[in-house]
Amino acid sequence: MANRVYEMMYIAAPETTDEDITKINDAIGSLVEKDGGTVAVMEGWGRRRLAYPINKKTEGFYVLLEIEGSGQEIAELERRFRVNDTVLRYITVRVDEDRKAADKKLAKRDKRKNRNGSKSAFGGSNEAETDDAFEA
Amino acid sequence: MERDNDFNDNELNLDVSIDQEIEKMPRRFQRRRPRQLVPDYVDWKDVDYLRRFIPERGKIMPRRISGVTAKDQRRLAQAIKRARTMALLPFVAD
Repeated sequence: MANRVYEMMYIAAPETTDEDITKINDAIGSLVEKDGGTVAVMEGWGRRRLAYPINKKTEGFYVLLEIEGSGQEIAELERRFRVNDTVLRYITVRVDEDRKAADKKLAKRDKRKNRNGSKSAFGGSNEAETDDAFEA
Repeated sequence: MERDNDFNDNELNLDVSIDQEIEKMPRRFQRRRPRQLVPDYVDWKDVDYLRRFIPERGKIMPRRISGVTAKDQRRLAQAIKRARTMALLPFVAD
């Protein structure tokens, strides 16, 4: 199965302790591995102020994950997030396709820049960008 | 208002100047900013970047003002909405 890359982020309630968060993260790790996926990135953003209150809370612990897998593990993770009361909010974004598209665009621009040769780096890339817009 | 220069980047007070402009000359839209470069991958987690496209009130800046392409506007809007659901950006700010 073609592997997919997902970005997941969840917000834990501000009164959650660090241990609880590590516990959640460990659970996520084992759950993902059980279904044959891998956790590529696990990044805590720490306590942040929310832009608007969620469940009457104005702060929360942000954790960002990047998961590679088939999609099975995502379904289970989302189910657990929904059930778990300490998780205020979560989001899943599939990123592999958008990233691939971005890489392709970049490669195209580089090629164009090389063809234009002697242009300065900034001017060259600028021009390529404009050309792309006309083609699209 | 002079073109471009005072518009170049992250001006959060952008909509204020536009409001004033509209008061002065009704029915005349602010000149479009020159084509804005938007990164190939618009990251919804990059709040500082996205903030350029949300004036004080918290609304998404229309592209007739920001001057981004239709395609880029769609990607920006998507990213802003994702950031909003994660409370990284406000739905309304006042």
